[in-house]
Amino acid sequence: MKIIIAGAGEVGTHLAKMLSNEDQDIILLDNDQSKLDAIDNNYNLMTYNGSTSSFNTLREVGVDECDLYIAVTPFETRNITSCSIAKRLGAKKTVARIDNSEFLQPQNGRILKEVGADFLIYPENLAANEIDMAMAHNWARYWGELHGGQLVLIGVKLRGESKLIDMQLKDITFARHDFHVAAIKRNNETIIPTGHDELKRDDIVYFITTPQFIDEVRELCGKRKRVIRKAMIMGATRITSRFAQLYSEKYDLRIIEQDRAVCETFATRFPACEVICGDARDIEVLRENNIYQYDAFLALTDSSETNILSCLTAKEFGVPKTIADVENLQFFSQAENLNIGTILNKKLLASSRIFKVLLDADESNEKFLMLADAEVAEMQAKPDSKITKAPVRNLRLPFGMTLAALVRGESCELISGQTHIEPGDYVVVFCLSGTFSKVQKWFS
Amino acid sequence: MTPFFRHKAYINYRMLLRVIGWLLMTEAGIMTIPCIVGMCYGEGSALQFLLCIGITAACGLGLMSLRPKSRDMGKREAVLLTAMTWVILSLFGMLPFLVCGTHFSVSSAFFETMSGFTTTGASVLDTLEGVPHSILLWRCIAQWIGGLGIILFTLAIVPMLNYQGGIQLFNAEVTGITHDKLRPRVGSTSKGLWMVYICLTALLFILLICSDMGFFDALCYALSTMSTGGFANSDMSLGQWDSNYIKIVMTIFMFLGGVNFSLLFKAANGQWKGLFDNDALRTYLWIILICFSVFTINIAVQHLGSDWTDFTIDPLFQAVSILSSTGITEPDFNDWGPVSVIILIIMMVMGACAGSTSGGAKIDRFIILGKFLKNEFYRMMHPNAIRTVVINGKGTPNPIVMKTLAFLFMYIIVITLGAISLMVCGLPLRDGFFCALSAVSNTGLGTDITGLEGNYSYVADTAKWILSFLMLTGRLELYTVLLLFTPGFWKK
Repeated sequence: MKIIIAGAGEVGTHLAKMLSNEDQDIILLDNDQSKLDAIDNNYNLMTYNGSTSSFNTLREVGVDECDLYIAVTPFETRNITSCSIAKRLGAKKTVARIDNSEFLQPQNGRILKEVGADFLIYPENLAANEIDMAMAHNWARYWGELHGGQLVLIGVKLRGESKLIDMQLKDITFARHDFHVAAIKRNNETIIPTGHDELKRDDIVYFITTPQFIDEVRELCGKRKRVIRKAMIMGATRITSRFAQLYSEKYDLRIIEQDRAVCETFATRFPACEVICGDARDIEVLRENNIYQYDAFLALTDSSETNILSCLTAKEFGVPKTIADVENLQFFSQAENLNIGTILNKKLLASSRIFKVLLDADESNEKFLMLADAEVAEMQAKPDSKITKAPVRNLRLPFGMTLAALVRGESCELISGQTHIEPGDYVVVFCLSGTFSKVQKWFS
Repeated sequence: MTPFFRHKAYINYRMLLRVIGWLLMTEAGIMTIPCIVGMCYGEGSALQFLLCIGITAACGLGLMSLRPKSRDMGKREAVLLTAMTWVILSLFGMLPFLVCGTHFSVSSAFFETMSGFTTTGASVLDTLEGVPHSILLWRCIAQWIGGLGIILFTLAIVPMLNYQGGIQLFNAEVTGITHDKLRPRVGSTSKGLWMVYICLTALLFILLICSDMGFFDALCYALSTMSTGGFANSDMSLGQWDSNYIKIVMTIFMFLGGVNFSLLFKAANGQWKGLFDNDALRTYLWIILICFSVFTINIAVQHLGSDWTDFTIDPLFQAVSILSSTGITEPDFNDWGPVSVIILIIMMVMGACAGSTSGGAKIDRFIILGKFLKNEFYRMMHPNAIRTVVINGKGTPNPIVMKTLAFLFMYIIVITLGAISLMVCGLPLRDGFFCALSAVSNTGLGTDITGLEGNYSYVADTAKWILSFLMLTGRLELYTVLLLFTPGFWKK
């Protein structure tokens, strides 16, 4: 598939690298040669220096024959203009990154579609929703709902109190069939487990289960439920603003920001929130604001390091749930190992959304990204595909992928060795990064 | 994305050898063509040829069965792999010369193969009479494959290399200062370049077969002309036919062989505009025109011409042949005198456009040098003026200009050192310099002892190895080979 990515910023670069590793034809467009040089010499893709809203540039990169045009420059108006031009010149599908919730409203979306922007991604909105989800299910590291909530994907860090520690997977599943361990993250490495793998202390374990068994999984992991009401936010950034906009009624929010001018704007825009001007890295400031009483601490500044360290400090103060925005991917897996609750990354959120758009060409497939080096996808088995030929245990599936659950008609079930996948089933697949194209072959 | 903290071996030798295995299999596959041709001619050497294919394929299969721990390949591996590939493939490529009834020593056989792969076209054969057809064809095929690049060929056909590591290999092998990507994926870029190359070769073959040339000669000349290599098929070379038609056709295709293949590819896809705006191509045409005029004037002044072709086709053929580093010479070039030799040396250093199959330091680099010097002189008068080196309407960043200047300087150093080593091996001063230059620029001409037609059989064995090394260094444009000799490359 030919994909043109306009804007070699963080999201654009990340997407380009990822999609190029998935064997797609990528052209990365930007008007800053220095940003392009680094990626051009090392990745299997093409770069082009030119303006993203220039007719000539878009014609030269062959936008008329591209399947997907993704505009992810930092400026939403430029993205929309660029998508509009691309669409008129013949791009099959366009995606624009925006940072304004007005565009997301259904009645306005229609107008944007007429202009030529088919899909919109709003990374801050995705992040805000992710935070809300993490607060609602605060005992889990990761919470994802698949197939309209019929299946739930839960990532939990196992602590000493869990009953599952040192058990082999085959023993766990022998006793009960109501959940499936799909992946284990141990020491920066993601393992797609087999029956002989053991669960260890401090592993992050990803379970797939159906809603009625969620509580059992929670109990097995030795976690308690907690309702979050009060949250302290460090840094008044765009995510903060979107989160406050959406949830300032639902939660009791206190925002700490250094810049007085920014504080004043926030105080005017969100009267329901308490805005404090101060440095949240300063322990005195945290004490003054009674950090002990808060249920959650959200570190959302632009600096990943500050966010990670502040969350650790908040944990020291006994805040039960901490969430850190970590934009450096190198730190992402380090942060996962630390004692921080949930870790956000706008890039991963945005690219997983774009992946969905990409796979929508196939109509039946959906894909989620959640880890730095593994992926979860929901695939529909096509008639006569390899996956439907035999029961799962006889299929000799390649290393690095596991089938977790399937949706057949209205009902959901977890997959065991005996399961025979039928054409039309939706299957939830876990795979290591870069193997996704292999997985697709099994289903088509 | 690979896990961040996976332990990476310093150099991933297993993966390196595995890719070389692939390349050897490719070579074995290509070797079957001359073998089949040999069989068709009923030559006894075909059986020995089969043996060579067997050995190459067996080694290839052996290396391919290696299972590397990781498939990561970085810059270091790419550089090492590119240089190793050319040496190893030449080692296997010389097997036919050793076993097929032509009495070659190991040094001569290696020299001949390297000269083929690097499209130098210098030969150690005294006479081409009695050499089996399979060997003659193998020499030309080696040139043809080497012309665009062995690795590029493999990149086009082996999907395994079509990932991150492939891009590094592409950069290490393809000639030129910067590398245009034609398509987003390196595999399709290589395919595009090869399609242009194959189509041009096929066209040349058809045009040649329409002349007095036989099928076999037409095939060999098509292969060696398109790759700007210049291996001949008989002692007479083109003198055998003395046909203006052949000369005109070959002039055109030698010219095309010196044009940047990316430009040809774009032109073939209807993007003609870039063709005429290209600085390198325009300069290439100008240089040909100037050299042609100098040759013609030289011929006229010395009263060498007797016929109208002596003033038109012959000098033009000669100018294109040398500038594109093909190195096929006119029968009476020897009589043209010292002026033509000086012009010849200048053209050999120049070479044709970057990204083509030609040798030399490439016109593109001289354009940068010229514009840079012009700016420097301008700045002496206007110290505050800011001027950039503008190529094809785009500014060239300073690091690239510096790299180009360093390249040209290194070119001179390599030629000088090469010449000194050759002199130590017993070549006279003039020959030493000429041969070193001829090898580094992949032209393959000789002078005095080695003779203008390029016969290197009288050169000592040590000198043959030195020349082989120079040819490889020149073909891979210095950096790739010389980098291996820097301590920094091996330091952990």
